[in-house]
Amino acid sequence: MDEVADKIVAILKKNMKNPPDTVPMETKLADLEIESLDLAVIVFDIEDTFGIQIPYNANEEVQDFATVGSVVDRVKQIIAEKNAAGAAA
Amino acid sequence: MASSEGRRVVVTGQGAVTSIGVSAPAMWASMREGRCGVGPLSGMSMDDLYIHIAGQIRDFDPRERCGHSKPLMLAERYSQFAGSAAIEAMSQAGYNGPVPNGHRAASIIGSGIGGLGTIEKGYEDLFILKKKATHPLTLLRSIASSAAAHVSIEYGIKGPCFGTVSACSTAAHAIGLAYQMIKSGMIDMGVAGGSEASITYGSMRSWQAMRVLSPDGCYPFAKRRNGTVLSEGAGILVLEEFEHARERGAPILAELKGFGMTSDAADMVNPSIEGPTEAMRIALEDARLAPSDIDYINAHGTATTVNDVNETRAIKAVFGPHAYKLSVSSTKSMHGHCLGAGGGVEAVASIMAIRDGFAPPTIGLDEPGDECDLDYVPNEGRARHIAYAMSNSFAFGGLNAVLVFGPAPV
Repeated sequence: MDEVADKIVAILKKNMKNPPDTVPMETKLADLEIESLDLAVIVFDIEDTFGIQIPYNANEEVQDFATVGSVVDRVKQIIAEKNAAGAAA
Repeated sequence: MASSEGRRVVVTGQGAVTSIGVSAPAMWASMREGRCGVGPLSGMSMDDLYIHIAGQIRDFDPRERCGHSKPLMLAERYSQFAGSAAIEAMSQAGYNGPVPNGHRAASIIGSGIGGLGTIEKGYEDLFILKKKATHPLTLLRSIASSAAAHVSIEYGIKGPCFGTVSACSTAAHAIGLAYQMIKSGMIDMGVAGGSEASITYGSMRSWQAMRVLSPDGCYPFAKRRNGTVLSEGAGILVLEEFEHARERGAPILAELKGFGMTSDAADMVNPSIEGPTEAMRIALEDARLAPSDIDYINAHGTATTVNDVNETRAIKAVFGPHAYKLSVSSTKSMHGHCLGAGGGVEAVASIMAIRDGFAPPTIGLDEPGDECDLDYVPNEGRARHIAYAMSNSFAFGGLNAVLVFGPAPV
Protein backbone atom coordinates (compact mmCIF):
# COMPACT_ATOMS: atom_id res chain seq x y z
CA MET A 1 0.00 0.00 0.00
CA ASP A 2 1.13 3.52 -0.70
CA GLU A 3 0.23 6.86 0.84
CA VAL A 4 -2.51 7.76 -1.65
CA ALA A 5 -4.15 4.36 -1.22
CA ASP A 6 -3.86 4.54 2.57
CA LYS A 7 -5.52 7.95 2.68
CA ILE A 8 -8.32 6.89 0.33
CA VAL A 9 -9.03 3.74 2.33
CA ALA A 10 -9.12 5.85 5.49
CA ILE A 11 -11.65 8.19 3.85
CA LEU A 12 -13.78 5.26 2.72
CA LYS A 13 -13.74 3.72 6.18
CA LYS A 14 -14.65 7.04 7.80
CA ASN A 15 -17.78 7.14 5.64
CA MET A 16 -18.85 3.56 6.23
CA LYS A 17 -21.28 2.42 8.86
CA ASN A 18 -19.43 -0.79 9.72
CA PRO A 19 -15.92 -0.44 8.30
CA PRO A 20 -13.99 -3.73 7.94
CA ASP A 21 -10.39 -3.97 9.21
CA THR A 22 -8.93 -4.20 5.74
CA VAL A 23 -10.23 -2.96 2.40
CA PRO A 24 -8.51 -4.75 -0.50
CA MET A 25 -7.97 -2.74 -3.70
CA GLU A 26 -10.22 -5.02 -5.73
CA THR A 27 -13.23 -4.38 -3.45
CA LYS A 28 -16.22 -3.05 -5.38
CA LEU A 29 -17.60 0.21 -3.97
CA ALA A 30 -21.09 -1.29 -4.39
CA ASP A 31 -20.09 -4.00 -1.88
CA LEU A 32 -19.15 -1.41 0.74
CA GLU A 33 -22.77 -0.21 1.12
CA ILE A 34 -21.75 3.16 -0.24
CA GLU A 35 -24.69 5.01 -1.78
CA SER A 36 -24.82 8.05 -4.05
CA LEU A 37 -24.82 10.64 -1.28
CA ASP A 38 -21.99 8.81 0.54
CA LEU A 39 -20.02 8.85 -2.67
CA ALA A 40 -20.48 12.62 -3.06
CA VAL A 41 -19.13 13.03 0.48
CA ILE A 42 -16.24 10.65 -0.19
CA VAL A 43 -15.32 12.42 -3.43
CA PHE A 44 -15.39 15.73 -1.54
CA ASP A 45 -13.12 14.31 1.18
CA ILE A 46 -10.68 13.01 -1.42
CA GLU A 47 -10.67 16.35 -3.28
CA ASP A 48 -10.09 18.18 -0.01
CA THR A 49 -7.32 15.82 1.12
CA PHE A 50 -5.34 15.92 -2.12
CA GLY A 51 -6.24 19.44 -3.29
CA ILE A 52 -7.65 18.16 -6.59
CA GLN A 53 -10.91 18.19 -8.56
CA ILE A 54 -12.55 14.92 -9.57
CA PRO A 55 -15.22 15.00 -12.28
CA TYR A 56 -18.13 13.00 -10.90
CA ASN A 57 -21.88 13.04 -11.52
CA ALA A 58 -24.11 10.92 -9.27
CA ASN A 59 -26.40 10.35 -12.27
CA GLU A 60 -23.76 8.54 -14.27
CA GLU A 61 -22.12 5.20 -13.71
CA VAL A 62 -18.43 5.92 -13.87
CA GLN A 63 -15.87 3.17 -14.34
CA ASP A 64 -13.41 5.13 -12.19
CA PHE A 65 -15.62 4.46 -9.20
CA ALA A 66 -16.08 0.71 -9.71
CA THR A 67 -13.50 -0.54 -7.21
CA VAL A 68 -11.32 0.93 -4.48
CA GLY A 69 -8.30 0.35 -6.71
CA SER A 70 -9.86 2.22 -9.64
CA VAL A 71 -10.52 5.23 -7.39
CA VAL A 72 -6.89 5.16 -6.22
CA ASP A 73 -5.62 4.92 -9.82
CA ARG A 74 -7.84 7.81 -10.94
CA VAL A 75 -6.75 10.01 -8.03
CA LYS A 76 -3.08 9.27 -8.71
CA GLN A 77 -3.64 10.16 -12.37
CA ILE A 78 -5.31 13.48 -11.46
CA ILE A 79 -2.48 14.31 -9.01
CA ALA A 80 0.09 13.55 -11.71
CA GLU A 81 -1.79 15.72 -14.25
CA LYS A 82 -1.98 18.52 -11.72
CA ASN A 83 1.74 18.30 -10.94
CA ALA A 84 2.61 18.22 -14.63
CA ALA A 85 0.45 21.31 -15.26
CA GLY A 86 2.11 23.02 -12.28
CA ALA A 87 5.58 22.17 -13.59
CA ALA A 88 4.71 23.48 -17.05
CA ALA A 89 3.45 26.76 -15.59
CA MET B 1 -67.52 28.66 11.93
CA ALA B 2 -69.41 27.79 8.76
CA SER B 3 -70.51 24.21 8.31
CA SER B 4 -67.76 22.22 6.66
CA GLU B 5 -70.17 19.68 5.17
CA GLY B 6 -69.74 19.39 1.42
CA ARG B 7 -67.48 22.40 1.01
CA ARG B 8 -65.73 22.34 -2.36
CA VAL B 9 -62.58 24.20 -3.24
CA VAL B 10 -62.16 25.94 -6.57
CA VAL B 11 -59.34 27.84 -8.24
CA THR B 12 -60.32 31.40 -9.16
CA GLY B 13 -56.93 32.80 -10.07
CA GLN B 14 -53.45 31.71 -11.01
CA GLY B 15 -50.13 33.43 -11.47
CA ALA B 16 -46.67 32.35 -12.51
CA VAL B 17 -43.16 33.69 -12.94
CA THR B 18 -40.85 31.35 -14.83
CA SER B 19 -37.90 31.26 -17.19
CA ILE B 20 -40.40 30.57 -20.01
CA GLY B 21 -42.78 33.41 -19.20
CA VAL B 22 -43.41 35.84 -16.36
CA SER B 23 -47.18 35.32 -16.27
CA ALA B 24 -49.38 32.22 -16.31
CA PRO B 25 -50.59 32.75 -19.93
CA ALA B 26 -47.05 33.51 -21.14
CA MET B 27 -45.70 30.39 -19.44
CA TRP B 28 -48.48 28.24 -20.84
CA ALA B 29 -47.95 29.60 -24.36
CA SER B 30 -44.29 28.54 -24.06
CA MET B 31 -45.30 25.11 -22.78
CA ARG B 32 -47.67 24.64 -25.71
CA GLU B 33 -44.81 25.44 -28.06
CA GLY B 34 -42.31 23.31 -26.12
CA ARG B 35 -39.97 26.23 -25.50
CA CYS B 36 -36.99 25.76 -23.17
CA GLY B 37 -35.98 28.41 -20.62
CA VAL B 38 -32.66 26.84 -19.66
CA GLY B 39 -29.66 28.85 -20.81
CA PRO B 40 -26.13 29.92 -19.96
CA LEU B 41 -25.69 30.86 -16.32
CA SER B 42 -24.97 34.54 -15.81
CA GLY B 43 -24.81 37.28 -13.21
CA MET B 44 -22.32 35.64 -10.87
CA SER B 45 -18.69 34.64 -10.52
CA MET B 46 -17.93 31.47 -12.48
CA ASP B 47 -14.90 30.60 -10.33
CA ASP B 48 -14.74 26.84 -9.75
CA LEU B 49 -18.18 26.33 -11.27
CA TYR B 50 -18.34 23.52 -13.78
CA ILE B 51 -22.14 23.64 -14.12
CA HIS B 52 -22.77 26.55 -16.49
CA ILE B 53 -26.53 26.37 -17.15
CA ALA B 54 -29.71 27.30 -15.28
CA GLY B 55 -33.28 28.45 -15.83
CA GLN B 56 -32.76 32.06 -14.83
CA ILE B 57 -35.49 34.64 -15.32
CA ARG B 58 -34.10 37.47 -17.41
CA ASP B 59 -37.17 39.50 -18.31
CA PHE B 60 -38.64 40.11 -14.85
CA ASP B 61 -39.06 43.82 -14.16
CA PRO B 62 -40.20 44.33 -10.55
CA ARG B 63 -41.36 47.86 -11.29
CA GLU B 64 -43.61 46.65 -14.07
CA ARG B 65 -44.90 43.62 -12.14
CA CYS B 66 -45.38 45.11 -8.65
CA GLY B 67 -44.27 48.73 -8.91
CA HIS B 68 -47.39 50.12 -7.23
CA SER B 69 -46.34 48.48 -3.96
CA LYS B 70 -43.51 50.18 -2.10
CA PRO B 71 -42.97 47.22 0.27
CA LEU B 72 -42.64 44.84 -2.67
CA MET B 73 -40.26 47.19 -4.48
CA LEU B 74 -37.97 46.97 -1.44
CA ALA B 75 -38.40 43.21 -1.09
CA GLU B 76 -36.07 40.33 -1.93
CA ARG B 77 -36.25 38.83 -5.45
CA TYR B 78 -38.04 35.74 -4.15
CA SER B 79 -40.76 37.90 -2.56
CA GLN B 80 -41.07 39.95 -5.73
CA PHE B 81 -41.65 36.78 -7.75
CA ALA B 82 -44.33 35.77 -5.22
CA GLY B 83 -45.82 39.29 -5.25
CA SER B 84 -46.00 39.32 -9.03
CA ALA B 85 -47.63 35.87 -9.24
CA ALA B 86 -50.04 36.71 -6.39
CA ILE B 87 -51.07 40.01 -7.98
CA GLU B 88 -51.66 38.24 -11.28
CA ALA B 89 -53.74 35.53 -9.59
CA MET B 90 -55.71 37.93 -7.39
CA SER B 91 -56.51 40.24 -10.34
CA GLN B 92 -57.83 37.28 -12.29
CA ALA B 93 -59.94 36.26 -9.27
CA GLY B 94 -61.39 39.79 -9.14
CA TYR B 95 -59.57 40.97 -6.03
CA ASN B 96 -58.00 44.32 -6.75
CA GLY B 97 -57.61 45.58 -3.19
CA PRO B 98 -58.11 44.37 0.38
CA VAL B 99 -60.29 41.26 0.58
CA PRO B 100 -63.72 41.91 2.13
CA ASN B 101 -63.40 39.51 5.05
CA GLY B 102 -59.70 39.42 5.88
CA HIS B 103 -59.93 37.12 8.88
CA ARG B 104 -61.40 34.37 6.72
CA ALA B 105 -58.57 34.55 4.20
CA ALA B 106 -55.12 32.94 4.19
CA SER B 107 -51.76 33.65 2.62
CA ILE B 108 -49.64 30.49 2.54
CA ILE B 109 -46.62 30.96 0.33
CA GLY B 110 -43.59 28.82 0.89
CA SER B 111 -40.03 28.73 -0.34
CA GLY B 112 -37.35 26.09 -0.20
CA ILE B 113 -34.94 28.56 1.32
CA GLY B 114 -36.28 32.13 1.20
CA GLY B 115 -34.09 35.12 0.50
CA LEU B 116 -30.84 33.29 -0.17
CA GLY B 117 -29.36 36.05 -2.35
CA THR B 118 -29.84 38.51 0.48
CA ILE B 119 -28.18 36.17 2.98
CA GLU B 120 -25.19 35.69 0.70
CA LYS B 121 -24.84 39.41 0.09
CA GLY B 122 -24.97 40.03 3.84
CA TYR B 123 -22.22 37.48 4.49
CA GLU B 124 -20.09 38.90 1.70
CA ASP B 125 -20.47 42.39 3.20
CA LEU B 126 -19.55 41.15 6.69
CA PHE B 127 -16.93 38.49 6.15
CA ILE B 128 -15.22 39.55 2.92
CA LEU B 129 -15.79 43.26 2.48
CA LYS B 130 -15.62 43.83 6.27
CA LYS B 131 -18.37 46.43 6.08
CA LYS B 132 -19.51 48.06 9.30
CA ALA B 133 -23.12 46.99 8.80
CA THR B 134 -25.32 44.81 6.65
CA HIS B 135 -28.12 46.42 4.67
CA PRO B 136 -30.89 47.24 7.19
CA LEU B 137 -33.40 45.09 5.30
CA THR B 138 -31.16 41.99 5.30
CA LEU B 139 -33.19 40.21 7.94
CA LEU B 140 -36.64 41.03 6.56
CA ARG B 141 -35.61 40.15 3.03
CA SER B 142 -34.05 36.85 4.13
CA ILE B 143 -36.78 35.23 6.14
CA ALA B 144 -38.70 32.58 4.27
CA SER B 145 -42.07 33.83 5.53
CA SER B 146 -41.64 37.29 4.01
CA ALA B 147 -43.38 36.44 0.72
CA ALA B 148 -46.48 35.26 2.59
CA ALA B 149 -46.36 38.39 4.77
CA HIS B 150 -45.99 40.71 1.76
CA VAL B 151 -49.04 39.19 0.07
CA SER B 152 -51.09 39.41 3.27
CA ILE B 153 -50.19 43.10 3.60
CA GLU B 154 -50.98 43.72 -0.07
CA TYR B 155 -54.49 42.27 0.25
CA GLY B 156 -55.46 42.73 3.91
CA ILE B 157 -55.35 38.97 4.48
CA LYS B 158 -55.68 38.65 8.26
CA GLY B 159 -56.20 34.92 8.80
CA PRO B 160 -53.56 32.17 8.58
CA CYS B 161 -50.34 33.52 7.12
CA PHE B 162 -47.09 31.57 6.95
CA GLY B 163 -44.65 29.85 4.64
CA THR B 164 -44.26 26.12 4.15
CA VAL B 165 -40.82 24.52 3.86
CA SER B 166 -40.41 21.11 2.23
CA ALA B 167 -37.78 21.56 -0.48
CA CYS B 168 -39.29 20.66 -3.86
CA SER B 169 -42.73 19.93 -2.38
CA THR B 170 -43.04 23.33 -0.70
CA ALA B 171 -45.63 24.87 -3.04
CA ALA B 172 -47.76 21.73 -3.21
CA HIS B 173 -47.83 21.58 0.58
CA ALA B 174 -48.86 25.26 0.73
CA ILE B 175 -51.67 24.73 -1.78
CA GLY B 176 -52.78 21.54 -0.02
CA LEU B 177 -52.94 23.21 3.38
CA ALA B 178 -54.98 26.16 2.08
CA TYR B 179 -57.32 23.66 0.40
CA GLN B 180 -57.81 21.77 3.66
CA MET B 181 -58.45 24.99 5.58
CA ILE B 182 -61.14 26.02 3.10
CA LYS B 183 -62.66 22.55 3.12
CA SER B 184 -62.75 22.46 6.91
CA GLY B 185 -64.59 25.79 7.09
CA MET B 186 -61.73 27.68 8.74
CA ILE B 187 -61.39 30.15 5.87
CA ASP B 188 -63.24 31.04 2.65
CA MET B 189 -60.31 31.87 0.41
CA GLY B 190 -56.56 31.59 0.32
CA VAL B 191 -53.60 32.66 -1.76
CA ALA B 192 -51.21 29.72 -1.87
CA GLY B 193 -48.11 28.50 -3.64
CA GLY B 194 -44.37 28.83 -3.65
CA SER B 195 -41.56 31.08 -4.75
CA GLU B 196 -37.84 30.57 -5.20
CA ALA B 197 -34.91 32.75 -6.25
CA SER B 198 -31.96 30.68 -5.15
CA ILE B 199 -29.71 30.64 -8.21
CA THR B 200 -26.81 32.22 -6.37
CA TYR B 201 -23.11 31.46 -6.46
CA GLY B 202 -23.24 29.71 -3.08
CA SER B 203 -26.28 27.70 -4.05
CA MET B 204 -24.74 26.63 -7.37
CA ARG B 205 -21.62 25.52 -5.50
CA SER B 206 -23.70 23.55 -2.96
CA TRP B 207 -25.72 21.78 -5.64
CA GLN B 208 -22.58 21.15 -7.66
CA ALA B 209 -20.96 19.58 -4.61
CA MET B 210 -23.90 17.16 -4.34
CA ARG B 211 -23.14 16.03 -7.90
CA VAL B 212 -26.75 15.91 -9.02
CA LEU B 213 -26.82 18.74 -11.59
CA SER B 214 -26.61 18.17 -15.31
CA PRO B 215 -23.94 20.06 -17.21
CA ASP B 216 -25.99 19.98 -20.44
CA GLY B 217 -29.75 20.11 -19.86
CA CYS B 218 -32.86 18.84 -18.10
CA TYR B 219 -33.99 15.70 -19.97
CA PRO B 220 -36.60 13.92 -17.81
CA PHE B 221 -37.25 10.25 -18.57
CA ALA B 222 -34.63 10.27 -21.36
CA LYS B 223 -31.81 7.78 -21.66
CA ARG B 224 -29.33 10.66 -21.79
CA ARG B 225 -30.63 12.32 -18.61
CA ASN B 226 -27.80 13.11 -16.25
CA GLY B 227 -29.18 15.34 -13.56
CA THR B 228 -31.51 18.22 -12.96
CA VAL B 229 -31.16 21.91 -13.85
CA LEU B 230 -31.81 24.61 -11.28
CA SER B 231 -34.27 27.33 -12.07
CA GLU B 232 -36.22 30.01 -10.28
CA GLY B 233 -39.75 31.37 -10.24
CA ALA B 234 -43.12 31.41 -8.52
CA GLY B 235 -46.44 29.66 -8.94
CA ILE B 236 -49.46 30.82 -6.98
CA LEU B 237 -53.17 29.98 -6.94
CA VAL B 238 -56.18 31.74 -5.48
CA LEU B 239 -58.30 29.03 -3.87
CA GLU B 240 -61.84 29.69 -2.80
CA GLU B 241 -64.83 27.89 -1.41
CA PHE B 242 -67.13 27.14 -4.38
CA GLU B 243 -70.27 28.99 -3.18
CA HIS B 244 -68.17 31.94 -2.04
CA ALA B 245 -66.65 32.18 -5.50
CA ARG B 246 -69.98 31.75 -7.25
CA GLU B 247 -71.66 34.47 -5.16
CA ARG B 248 -68.88 36.88 -6.10
CA GLY B 249 -69.27 35.97 -9.75
CA ALA B 250 -65.58 35.02 -9.84
CA PRO B 251 -64.18 33.08 -12.78
CA ILE B 252 -63.87 29.42 -11.81
CA LEU B 253 -60.87 27.90 -13.53
CA ALA B 254 -60.86 24.45 -11.97
CA GLU B 255 -61.68 22.50 -8.84
CA LEU B 256 -58.99 21.32 -6.46
CA LYS B 257 -60.34 17.85 -5.80
CA GLY B 258 -57.77 16.12 -3.65
CA PHE B 259 -54.52 16.35 -1.74
CA GLY B 260 -52.25 13.63 -0.43
CA MET B 261 -49.04 13.96 1.54
CA THR B 262 -46.65 11.38 2.92
CA SER B 263 -43.08 11.08 4.07
CA ASP B 264 -40.77 8.23 3.03
CA ALA B 265 -39.07 8.28 6.45
CA ALA B 266 -36.19 6.47 4.78
CA ASP B 267 -33.41 8.39 3.07
CA MET B 268 -32.47 12.03 2.40
CA VAL B 269 -31.93 11.52 -1.34
CA ASN B 270 -33.07 8.10 -2.50
CA PRO B 271 -36.86 8.04 -2.84
CA SER B 272 -38.94 5.07 -1.74
CA ILE B 273 -41.72 3.51 -3.79
CA GLU B 274 -44.09 3.51 -0.85
CA GLY B 275 -44.02 7.26 -0.09
CA PRO B 276 -44.91 8.58 -3.57
CA THR B 277 -47.34 5.70 -4.18
CA GLU B 278 -49.26 6.34 -0.97
CA ALA B 279 -49.31 10.12 -1.58
CA MET B 280 -50.95 9.54 -4.99
CA ARG B 281 -53.40 7.02 -3.53
CA ILE B 282 -54.38 9.35 -0.69
CA ALA B 283 -54.90 12.25 -3.12
CA LEU B 284 -57.16 10.08 -5.32
CA GLU B 285 -59.11 8.89 -2.30
CA ASP B 286 -59.51 12.46 -1.05
CA ALA B 287 -60.75 13.44 -4.52
CA ARG B 288 -63.13 10.44 -4.51
CA LEU B 289 -61.79 9.46 -7.90
CA ALA B 290 -60.68 6.12 -9.33
CA PRO B 291 -57.21 5.88 -10.88
CA SER B 292 -58.90 5.49 -14.28
CA ASP B 293 -60.47 8.97 -13.92
CA ILE B 294 -57.06 10.65 -14.24
CA ASP B 295 -55.99 11.63 -17.76
CA TYR B 296 -52.85 13.65 -17.21
CA ILE B 297 -50.04 13.65 -14.65
CA ASN B 298 -47.65 16.54 -14.34
CA ALA B 299 -44.78 14.43 -13.06
CA HIS B 300 -42.15 15.47 -10.59
CA GLY B 301 -39.73 14.33 -13.33
CA THR B 302 -36.47 15.90 -12.21
CA ALA B 303 -34.25 14.14 -14.78
CA THR B 304 -32.12 12.48 -12.13
CA THR B 305 -31.50 8.81 -12.85
CA VAL B 306 -33.15 7.75 -9.62
CA ASN B 307 -36.29 9.90 -9.54
CA ASP B 308 -37.59 9.23 -13.02
CA VAL B 309 -37.49 5.44 -12.71
CA ASN B 310 -38.89 5.51 -9.19
CA GLU B 311 -41.74 7.85 -10.16
CA THR B 312 -42.56 5.67 -13.18
CA ARG B 313 -42.70 2.58 -10.95
CA ALA B 314 -44.87 4.41 -8.40
CA ILE B 315 -47.30 5.57 -11.12
CA LYS B 316 -47.60 1.97 -12.32
CA ALA B 317 -48.21 0.77 -8.76
CA VAL B 318 -51.09 3.24 -8.34
CA PHE B 319 -52.62 3.17 -11.81
CA GLY B 320 -52.02 -0.42 -12.93
CA PRO B 321 -52.81 -0.93 -16.66
CA HIS B 322 -54.32 2.59 -16.81
CA ALA B 323 -50.76 3.96 -16.37
CA TYR B 324 -50.23 3.33 -20.09
CA LYS B 325 -53.32 5.36 -21.01
CA LEU B 326 -52.16 8.41 -19.06
CA SER B 327 -50.27 11.32 -20.52
CA VAL B 328 -47.40 11.92 -18.11
CA SER B 329 -45.12 14.88 -18.73
CA SER B 330 -42.41 16.73 -16.90
CA THR B 331 -42.66 20.43 -17.67
CA LYS B 332 -39.33 20.77 -15.83
CA SER B 333 -37.85 19.89 -19.23
CA MET B 334 -38.89 23.44 -20.21
CA HIS B 335 -38.81 25.60 -17.06
CA GLY B 336 -36.15 23.65 -15.16
CA HIS B 337 -36.42 22.71 -11.51
CA CYS B 338 -38.00 25.66 -9.69
CA LEU B 339 -37.43 23.90 -6.34
CA GLY B 340 -39.87 25.30 -3.74
CA ALA B 341 -41.90 27.00 -6.48
CA GLY B 342 -42.10 23.84 -8.62
CA GLY B 343 -45.40 22.52 -7.28
CA GLY B 344 -47.04 25.93 -7.84
CA VAL B 345 -45.78 26.37 -11.38
CA GLU B 346 -46.78 22.79 -12.18
CA ALA B 347 -50.23 23.24 -10.59
CA VAL B 348 -50.78 26.13 -13.02
CA ALA B 349 -49.67 23.88 -15.89
CA SER B 350 -52.08 21.15 -14.75
CA ILE B 351 -55.02 23.57 -14.59
CA MET B 352 -54.18 24.96 -18.04
CA ALA B 353 -53.95 21.39 -19.36
CA ILE B 354 -57.53 20.73 -18.19
CA ARG B 355 -58.78 24.07 -19.54
CA ASP B 356 -57.32 23.63 -23.02
CA GLY B 357 -57.53 19.83 -23.26
CA PHE B 358 -53.83 19.82 -24.03
CA ALA B 359 -51.03 17.78 -22.51
CA PRO B 360 -47.80 19.81 -22.42
CA PRO B 361 -44.71 17.96 -23.64
CA THR B 362 -41.57 16.58 -22.06
CA ILE B 363 -39.03 18.16 -24.37
CA GLY B 364 -35.57 16.75 -25.07
CA LEU B 365 -36.94 13.21 -24.91
CA ASP B 366 -35.21 11.70 -27.92
CA GLU B 367 -34.83 8.19 -26.53
CA PRO B 368 -36.56 6.98 -23.36
CA GLY B 369 -34.45 5.68 -20.48
CA ASP B 370 -34.47 2.12 -19.20
CA GLU B 371 -37.76 1.33 -17.45
CA CYS B 372 -39.21 4.65 -18.64
CA ASP B 373 -42.02 3.22 -20.79
CA LEU B 374 -45.04 5.48 -20.17
CA ASP B 375 -46.42 8.09 -22.56
CA TYR B 376 -44.33 11.09 -21.50
CA VAL B 377 -45.72 13.26 -24.33
CA PRO B 378 -42.27 13.42 -25.95
CA ASN B 379 -41.13 16.69 -27.51
CA GLU B 380 -44.50 17.97 -28.74
CA GLY B 381 -47.58 18.75 -26.70
CA ARG B 382 -50.79 17.05 -27.71
CA ALA B 383 -54.50 17.84 -27.67
CA ARG B 384 -56.46 15.30 -25.64
CA HIS B 385 -59.46 15.36 -23.36
CA ILE B 386 -58.28 15.99 -19.80
CA ALA B 387 -60.98 15.85 -17.15
CA TYR B 388 -58.74 15.28 -14.16
CA ALA B 389 -55.06 16.04 -13.72
CA MET B 390 -52.61 15.08 -11.01
CA SER B 391 -49.55 17.10 -10.05
CA ASN B 392 -46.71 15.27 -8.26
CA SER B 393 -44.08 16.81 -6.01
CA PHE B 394 -41.49 14.53 -4.40
CA ALA B 395 -38.79 16.32 -2.43
CA PHE B 396 -35.39 15.55 -0.96
CA GLY B 397 -35.89 14.04 2.46
CA GLY B 398 -38.69 11.88 1.02
CA LEU B 399 -41.37 14.56 1.38
CA ASN B 400 -44.26 13.87 -0.99
CA ALA B 401 -47.24 16.06 -1.89
CA VAL B 402 -49.78 15.33 -4.60
CA LEU B 403 -52.62 17.54 -5.86
CA VAL B 404 -55.57 16.47 -8.01
CA PHE B 405 -57.42 19.04 -10.11
CA GLY B 406 -60.69 18.68 -12.00
CA PRO B 407 -63.00 20.80 -14.15
CA ALA B 408 -64.97 23.72 -12.73
CA PRO B 409 -68.12 22.43 -10.99
CA VAL B 410 -71.39 23.28 -12.72
